[in-house]
Amino acid sequence: MKKHFLCAVLLASSTAFAQGFTPTRPLELVVHTGPGGGSDVLARAMVVMLEKEKLLPVRAQVTNKPGGGGVVAAAYLAEKKGETHTLGIFTGVWLTNPLTSNEAKVSLKDLTPIARLLLEPAVIAVKADAPYKTLGDFVNAAKQKPGELKQSGGSITSRDNVVRQQLQKATGTRWQFISFPGGGERIAALLGGHVNMMVIEPNEAGEHIRAGNMRVLAQVNETRLSAFPNVPTLKEAGFNVTPVPQVRGVVAPPGIPRENVAYWEGVFKKLSQTESWKKYVTDNQFEDAYQNAAELAKFYEEFSNQMRGILQEAGVKTVR
Amino acid sequence: MKARSADFWSGLALGGLGAYIIAVASRWEYMGQDGPGPGFFPLWYGIGMAALSLMLMVSSVTDKSGSTIDWSGARSAFVAWAAFSAMVATLPLVGFVIGFAALTLFIVLVMYRKPLKVAATTAVALSAGFYLIFPLALGVKLP
Amino acid sequence: MDVLSGLMQGFGVALQPLNLLWCFVGVVLGTVIGVMPGLGPPATIAMLLPLTFLMNPASAIIMLAGIYYGAKYGGSTTSILLNVPGESASVATCIDGYEMAKKGRAGAALGIAAIASFIAGTVGVLGLMLIAPPLARVSLAFSSPEYFALMALGLAMVVLLGGDSMVKALLATLVGLWLAGIGTDLFSQTSRFTFGRMELLSGIDFVVVAIGVFAIGEVLANMHERGGATAIAAPKGLRNLLPTMQDMKDSRFAFVNGSVIGFLIGVLPGAGSTIASFISYGVEKAVSKHPEKFGHGAVEGVAAPEGANNSETGGALVPMLTLGIPGSGTTAVLLAALVLWGFKPGPLFISENPAMFWGLVASMYIGNVMLLILNLPLVPLFAQVLRAPVYVLYPLILGISVVGVYSTSGSLFDVWLLAGFGLLGYLMRKLDFPSAPLILGLVLGGAMERALRQSLMMSDGHLSILVSRPVSAVMLSLALLILLIPLFGKVNAWRLKALK
Repeated sequence: MKKHFLCAVLLASSTAFAQGFTPTRPLELVVHTGPGGGSDVLARAMVVMLEKEKLLPVRAQVTNKPGGGGVVAAAYLAEKKGETHTLGIFTGVWLTNPLTSNEAKVSLKDLTPIARLLLEPAVIAVKADAPYKTLGDFVNAAKQKPGELKQSGGSITSRDNVVRQQLQKATGTRWQFISFPGGGERIAALLGGHVNMMVIEPNEAGEHIRAGNMRVLAQVNETRLSAFPNVPTLKEAGFNVTPVPQVRGVVAPPGIPRENVAYWEGVFKKLSQTESWKKYVTDNQFEDAYQNAAELAKFYEEFSNQMRGILQEAGVKTVR
Repeated sequence: MKARSADFWSGLALGGLGAYIIAVASRWEYMGQDGPGPGFFPLWYGIGMAALSLMLMVSSVTDKSGSTIDWSGARSAFVAWAAFSAMVATLPLVGFVIGFAALTLFIVLVMYRKPLKVAATTAVALSAGFYLIFPLALGVKLP
Repeated sequence: MDVLSGLMQGFGVALQPLNLLWCFVGVVLGTVIGVMPGLGPPATIAMLLPLTFLMNPASAIIMLAGIYYGAKYGGSTTSILLNVPGESASVATCIDGYEMAKKGRAGAALGIAAIASFIAGTVGVLGLMLIAPPLARVSLAFSSPEYFALMALGLAMVVLLGGDSMVKALLATLVGLWLAGIGTDLFSQTSRFTFGRMELLSGIDFVVVAIGVFAIGEVLANMHERGGATAIAAPKGLRNLLPTMQDMKDSRFAFVNGSVIGFLIGVLPGAGSTIASFISYGVEKAVSKHPEKFGHGAVEGVAAPEGANNSETGGALVPMLTLGIPGSGTTAVLLAALVLWGFKPGPLFISENPAMFWGLVASMYIGNVMLLILNLPLVPLFAQVLRAPVYVLYPLILGISVVGVYSTSGSLFDVWLLAGFGLLGYLMRKLDFPSAPLILGLVLGGAMERALRQSLMMSDGHLSILVSRPVSAVMLSLALLILLIPLFGKVNAWRLKALK
């Protein structure tokens, strides 16, 4: 009897040392959009994949914390200090908000990095009957009529505008940027002929391109996407611009133990190597860009500094 | 001197709001390089608000019929509102079920002067109802 | 594919027993959610997404769509009975619906709402079926100047909602505009009127204001009256349990009005059912022979907005299915669902997935019929709710309001805002400020400002863009005309007085 007891104790303590952390309650995935928004869709797809590939012993569920373009969700995570069963899906706005908004007190530096998962490339598109066949055509037209051509996009801190700022600086031209709150409205503005050009994610543009309503002039990416083998990248088209990536990844609340971080890191590393993930990435024309926690922390710094510079040049007031 | 009617005070209050809006909005950019800035719209409706409030105040003074409000009942309304706010304040502490039960008890007892038995049954029944329907049957979180 | 054969194929899909079942589940669920203030279709659909992976996509979309338009049916219930809008589109229904309930005609109001919803919902589906692709192309021509003009037209309706004092109505509207502007400015990312509070960064949720001002304001106002333990008149006799033939006759135009306006506005991406219901209400009042009845229990005042918010669902599906562009919050989630299931919504969706499109259309006809059958008999049952004594009803209203608001955002701050707006609603009632213009200003303010600034950006600062484009010029002139109506009335009265 005593022998069994001793064995049990030894076994228990050895597993405790070996495994570290295992989730015992459902995992909460926090996203900063409402249902149907970009991060929400990604999170729900992830939940399905995590279950399919049996990467978690527990369920995962999505919690929507919309507001302030990410500020509310970031603050929510920061409040859950030490909570081991909550994670957040971050995107680039979580990094840029603290730069421009006083109320955005929580930056990614206050949270625990887990992994960077995706880079979202973009393409520059015009209406199919537009006179521009290449990006060069558009830029030349802009040169001749400074400030007259128009681009539809999101807010001025969004990637759409960042690309615009970079191109304007590199070519010495100027064109207008008109913000629309939703992707649908931006596309409608382009297709209706009210703006001349837009920067759009390839999966959103895909169907319109297939239907012949849109034409792609260039890709905002380092290398050519498989879905657009004949479209030049910005560099190939002759524009000396480093594409600022639209990034998505996973963060955790501050103050969590090391085994916890290691565990989550492991889960997402395994996820990024599964077939379902790879298929998801290709179907949606993302780019797999896995970075582990340490690399992600470094990436924050570089990205924030890069963005700060760009925003200041664009005339946007930065507060940090 | 005739007592100022209610319209006058509301006009004053709204005029104050209008003035505040104008003050804040004029600090923002009115017209940017590309188009109207964040100050554009607020400035205009702030001005509109101030102007209309002035009209309201003027008309309340010149209008002979000047309606007065029966404020006797207002006390009950404010008490009810205070009770409601008190409940909201205690929500993080005691949760919805208890807070709501307390509020119901208060309302039935004090506002409607019903006997304690009636108040208590109502409070318990409604709170139980909320608890059963929302979190249990529908999975909706209560505060 | 021509309509008739498509429809046959569609009914072939929709009438399968499994799909009928899912349709039924969807519409019932939708109705329940619509009745609950706060909890809405987008959140529910998102919650059910994992479940849908176990179904085939056609059944899934049939069910989800059922939730979408079912919720519009349910939304009128609490609006009429308790003055608590079940969802943002039901606010316009509160105006006359609750008045009818107070007069003991709750049953008639609920019934007319159901009937109007059915007629308009069916018209919406017809529109979707017959003219979706060409209409979508036309809707693309609608740009910021036109949106601004549409919003201006909607705001001009304030005049018709205004009650006696134009000045007060306008003031209420301006306060609504101000409330709409609280938050982060889209164009410049400046925070406006947020007082440093993070929760205000994305503005104040419309539901919080509507429930606060209408429901809680009403409860507080009644505390003021302290009318003893008299209940709100419970409907007595069949005449008041269901709409009468006279009611149906009175609502004839409202049915048409609601269906058409709701559908057309639904087609525009970015304009939603709330705007549709208010404009429909305003139009109905404008063409009515006895406009003074509105706001005091006119049955057309219930039929028009209720119809509009139902046909809007058909309309919103147009850009979603023909262009892959969401027309509203719920269609955004539906689009996400389609993407998750592996479809690519866009211009080619209908031609490449005819079974799914036609199956959906057919199921919507069936769903509307189901809803009518479900809702009408339930009307007398719901109306009995009003038999409860006030001291039960009022705490109930307060409780539902809190739960409803909290369920949308999970934020206690919003509940505090609710209390604040409740006080505002009470004060507005006492000081004789009409509350509908406030709500209208709040709903339209944000979109209107955006549309104006976008238009000015497009025109490089020339206001003329608003009148140089035909459609927006027409709408703006209409708006101006409407604003001038009371002026004519006043001038006339002054002239008559002078003549005496």
